[in-house]
Amino acid sequence: MRELGRILSRRRLALGLALIALLNGLLFLREQKKNDYGLDLELPVSGGLVYFDGSFTAAQVTVDARAAYRRYAQRLERIREMPLAGAVTALTEELDALKGKTGGEEGAEDDRLDYVAVKNLLDKAEYLAGYGDWLETIQKNKENLLTFSLFNDPNSFSGRNILKTAGEFEKLRGVELTLGADGAVEAFMTFPLTDYFLVLALLLLALSFLEERKAGLWSVIHAAPNGRVKLAVRRTLILLGASVFGVVLLYGTDLALGFALYGGFGDLDRPVQSVEALGRLPMLATVGGFLIRYFLLRMAAAFLIALILWLMLTAVNNVKYTVIAAAGVLAAEYSLYTFLPVQSVFNVLKYFNLFTYISLSDLYTNYLNVDLFGFPLGIRGVSQLALIPLCPLLASVCVAVHCNKKPTEGRDLLGRAAVKINSVADRGLRRLGLFGMELHKTLWIQKGVVAAALLVYVAAGLTYTAPVSFASLAEQTAREYTAVFAGPVTDETFDRIDAEQTLLNNDLDAYEDAQKAFAEGLLEYPELDVYAHKADTAQIKSEGLSRVRARCEALRAQGEREGFAPWLIDETPFESVYGVRAQDNQQRAALAAVLALTLLLAGSMVYERQSGMMFLLRSTARGRGALLRRKLLLAAVTAAFVWAAVYGMEVYTLLSGFEIPAWRAPVKNLSMLTSFPLKCSVAGGLALLYACRWLALFCVAAVTLCLSGLFRRMETACVASCAVTLIPSVLYAYRGIGLFRPLAVILPVEIMPLLLEANGALSAFLTYLAALAAAAILAIYGLFATKCGGGR
Amino acid sequence: MKLELLNLTKQYGNFTALDRVNITFTEGIYGILGANGAGKSTMMNLITDNISRTQGQILFNGTDILKLGREFRRVLGYMPQQQGYYEHMTAQTFLSYMADLKAIPKKQAREEIERLLEITNLSNVRHKKLGGFSGGMKQRVLLAQALLGNPKVVILDEPTAGLDPKERIRIRSFIAELSRERIILLATHIVSDIESISDQILMMKHGRVVGLDRPDRLIERVAQEVRESVVPGHFSLEDVYLYYLGE
Repeated sequence: MRELGRILSRRRLALGLALIALLNGLLFLREQKKNDYGLDLELPVSGGLVYFDGSFTAAQVTVDARAAYRRYAQRLERIREMPLAGAVTALTEELDALKGKTGGEEGAEDDRLDYVAVKNLLDKAEYLAGYGDWLETIQKNKENLLTFSLFNDPNSFSGRNILKTAGEFEKLRGVELTLGADGAVEAFMTFPLTDYFLVLALLLLALSFLEERKAGLWSVIHAAPNGRVKLAVRRTLILLGASVFGVVLLYGTDLALGFALYGGFGDLDRPVQSVEALGRLPMLATVGGFLIRYFLLRMAAAFLIALILWLMLTAVNNVKYTVIAAAGVLAAEYSLYTFLPVQSVFNVLKYFNLFTYISLSDLYTNYLNVDLFGFPLGIRGVSQLALIPLCPLLASVCVAVHCNKKPTEGRDLLGRAAVKINSVADRGLRRLGLFGMELHKTLWIQKGVVAAALLVYVAAGLTYTAPVSFASLAEQTAREYTAVFAGPVTDETFDRIDAEQTLLNNDLDAYEDAQKAFAEGLLEYPELDVYAHKADTAQIKSEGLSRVRARCEALRAQGEREGFAPWLIDETPFESVYGVRAQDNQQRAALAAVLALTLLLAGSMVYERQSGMMFLLRSTARGRGALLRRKLLLAAVTAAFVWAAVYGMEVYTLLSGFEIPAWRAPVKNLSMLTSFPLKCSVAGGLALLYACRWLALFCVAAVTLCLSGLFRRMETACVASCAVTLIPSVLYAYRGIGLFRPLAVILPVEIMPLLLEANGALSAFLTYLAALAAAAILAIYGLFATKCGGGR
Repeated sequence: MKLELLNLTKQYGNFTALDRVNITFTEGIYGILGANGAGKSTMMNLITDNISRTQGQILFNGTDILKLGREFRRVLGYMPQQQGYYEHMTAQTFLSYMADLKAIPKKQAREEIERLLEITNLSNVRHKKLGGFSGGMKQRVLLAQALLGNPKVVILDEPTAGLDPKERIRIRSFIAELSRERIILLATHIVSDIESISDQILMMKHGRVVGLDRPDRLIERVAQEVRESVVPGHFSLEDVYLYYLGE
């Protein structure tokens, strides 16, 4: 119990495990949303537009996935009791009826939701109805394949494999699959991140067993009467308990969240093959029975993984090299599992691999036999069975290694290599100035390089554009005309609009003439139809053109009033990147930037304190003002790096995705910024926007630096910095709690929501920025004013 | 060169850690003796301006060190009682970094680091991370950093704690060599560390200075006061310590 108490009292470990549990839940929810709750949202008719690569292209009208799932669940409930064949017929008829109603015009949303719900239900029902046929096909394949000479040798691997496969699926014959809410189980079985989170949690736990080595207590513990077998057995039991708890917590969270999202598990007595992801599982079991069995196996597999990790970590004396060695083994195993071709003669290494137990669900969602000396071996069966001897065997090995490993034994070869590497690094480091060393401390010693790499990875994956769709064809046409007439609004612009209008009027007049001719019997209906079609198009275009004219007139009037040159701008790129529809993107980018900044800088000051260096630093000539100025410079550079990583990608997307000839146009010509108070070009306005974003990020960095100086431990500083800089923003942005709006630092970082609300007026933005700047100035003042040991 | 503490007082709430201390330090080694909580470290932290004084002045050559600020810290070498170091830095990088903080030119720093690594017997482990050092090795690295930049005022708080006897003698001899044209304040519990090398011994108790004199004079004074109860000729500084500071 004491050992468990010691481990549980490790704040860093507790924090890490809590973070893992939280991240697992959040990412599971995100994954479900990203996967549209398991629905195929494709619609048969295009009805919207998206602007990209400088051209309009047709895009699907999107439907709200959550609403579609609700509709799906309602219909599922209605047809659940129907025979499958009847359900397929009814759903097919309904789908055909809905196909024509899903056009892009307003009001069709309901039909679109129905279409998606029916289509997905139909797919599901067809799978269930066709499952018996699929089983039959396996049996027929057996008979057919055995007739070919290549496979008909019952003593070859191929022949044996065909027979084994058919034999295993034979027992499923006659199984009656039924419809049900499978979303939770499907999501549970196909979310691989939980597997890795579990490994990470077990790794953290196993690493906590090495604390005694770090603290120099290994030899003391090794010499204690209970420090060998008893301690090793206790640790084995702790790993077992942690495996059970970890599986229940992480996978239980997935299942519980799935239950809440997808409206339950459906009937748990249904055959497990009713869940499409488990259709290839040749095992007679109910969904409920399978889940229980899966959880138990998952726990055993987790225990095995934990033991392997512990064994790898105890095998080498030096903690650091232990971790490197463990990482090496894991990387090798992962490479074999992922990259070794199925057909390889070494495929045994691919499947009888540590990652087989990590990605356990693959055993149940795929069916595969490997060739072992000509005999097909079922991966699933062997892996499951192997757990029975492997767990106690490895536990014994772990105990033996723990007992027999001598704390001061052996020559540290890796240590000698490290000294050589350090000597090279030292030569470079001694040339660095104070700022260089601060950078070195942040990036290397405090592992900021990991946060930086993660930021770059996340920034590359962020979406910076949102599709701009149009409510009507007239609006779409107006956009197209805007692109055509884009440029300074002059008399010539109006002349060109008039000329276009004349052409359109011609088509309208021609249709009127055609109607008369048709009435007089001078024209056939098909010919009239051509005129009618042209007139329809002309009518829509005419409406679009009127909107463009009105926009030009409004710009000219505003330009005369406010003294700027009117310029018709195709605003689609700006709307796509900065507009209302892009606000979610902007929010995510700002959150990523603030999080990265916090993680990179939260340790900067506290590290000095935690290392016990404060007194020493402050007694040197440059250890006060000069050092703090370097730290501030570091904050500025870090802010610039984060800014470049996140917003550099945004600018790159804007520049590479769109052709923007209107950089020189006065910024007020953008309808989203008509009240912008400064006289500058679009390029100038955007430069100002990005400069303000950097400034806001620098202010956040300064506040983080100050917060970092208030704490004694790195973890506390990180949590506190996140609590101040991030949590209010998250609560405001994602939970909609207005109370946190004034504290949401992402608003001045994003800027655009504040500008869009005020139509470009800067008052709200400047208020936020001034408040943030004041906080930063106070923070900087606090940093310079603090003495390191003024109180007790 | 003069370092004067005038009426120096430090209070933490109602607790007085240092009580109206008046001392003038000139060139030489000052061994500071006192039990835990006597105020030795508080005095050193006040001289290094790591804590705020409640009352009094610290003058270096007649000017308050707060006014001198960076200029005073340029001539200061400090080794704190608590081991502060970056465990992920090697000894060499740590000393380079400290040299930079002490505003020592790069070339001079390189030469000094070489010399100090030799003196502290750390040359062969200069590329090892400090986290892997033993307590004594860390102590030597900290001593080396304190001596970087040829400081005029050297403050060493328990410099020989954790060192083996051989290292202790070695470091003690080195400190003795340093004493010319420097003020060295050396706080310790180990009387033998300062007995032979100190020019003056400062005895502190409950935040006050209870004795300040040359070691031989202190021994003589105590011997005269307690002549009846001890065997003549067997007096040492430890007896002085016990006489002044024992309960």
